[in-house]
Amino acid sequence: MNSEYLTELYSNTKGSSYQCDATNRIIIRFGDITVSLRITDFLTFKRRVDSVDIHTMIFNTDDAYDVEIIDAPRTDQLFVLNLCDLILLRDLLAGTRFALDLNTLLHERIYNAVVY
Amino acid sequence: MKDLVRMRTSLKEETERILNEQIKMEAHSSAIYLSMAAWCDRNGFDYSAGYFYKQAEEERSHMLKIFKYVSDLGGTAVSPEVTNVPQEFEGFRDVFELALQQEIAVTNSINRIVATARQLNDFATDQFMQWFVQEQIEEEYVARRAVELFDVIGEEGVGRYMIDKAIPKITYGEAAE
Repeated sequence: MNSEYLTELYSNTKGSSYQCDATNRIIIRFGDITVSLRITDFLTFKRRVDSVDIHTMIFNTDDAYDVEIIDAPRTDQLFVLNLCDLILLRDLLAGTRFALDLNTLLHERIYNAVVY
Repeated sequence: MKDLVRMRTSLKEETERILNEQIKMEAHSSAIYLSMAAWCDRNGFDYSAGYFYKQAEEERSHMLKIFKYVSDLGGTAVSPEVTNVPQEFEGFRDVFELALQQEIAVTNSINRIVATARQLNDFATDQFMQWFVQEQIEEEYVARRAVELFDVIGEEGVGRYMIDKAIPKITYGEAAE
């Protein structure tokens, strides 16, 4: 990855995210895992992570609810997440999404604005 | 930094979400009309069955129209899961009252989409939905007229037979004036 094309979007204690303008991909680094996702796949991945029922994970004592396994679309990576991981990954993806939306807003209001 | 989100789609996330909800609603409507058609068929209301088969097709075409719009604009159109489709109805009149209620629910939902599109300055979606706003005027008119036939003709004697025959003749537009 050429860092010249990378822009950091968001980071927290467990990971960070970048946009690569050379490949038009979003790169997610979370713990030991790094995935590079197309924007559609990033949004699908975010939806998957957001759809996990955290409430059930907290209150159900069954072992099956201790971890959640989520695959990142079109990659070979599996995210095996305990409750804390899940909350941090959600935060990372939400922050990333916010940075992307903010960039859209800047393009809309500033970069694309006609200057006479 | 490139605007990757905008490069992918011109649909805002909220618009995409409510359009997908509408896709689901239209699919559900289509399924309900299909079960109404089957109910009418097995209870001897042949013309009404035909009317509901046609309505089921129409709702499906509405669903596809929105589905293709979402896809064309680079969004993710979600093929809907249809559940909770009633198979039994209280009676002939109830079928048509339920159909009217269904149309009213669709109209309300369409109105909410238009309101959201305007709030988000999404003029393309606003304009796209105008076809549905117009369509719902016709859909509600036809559904309401059908219910009214039960009072106009009456269900006694050969009433239901007459109502059944009159159902497919309901039209909206110049012919109805």
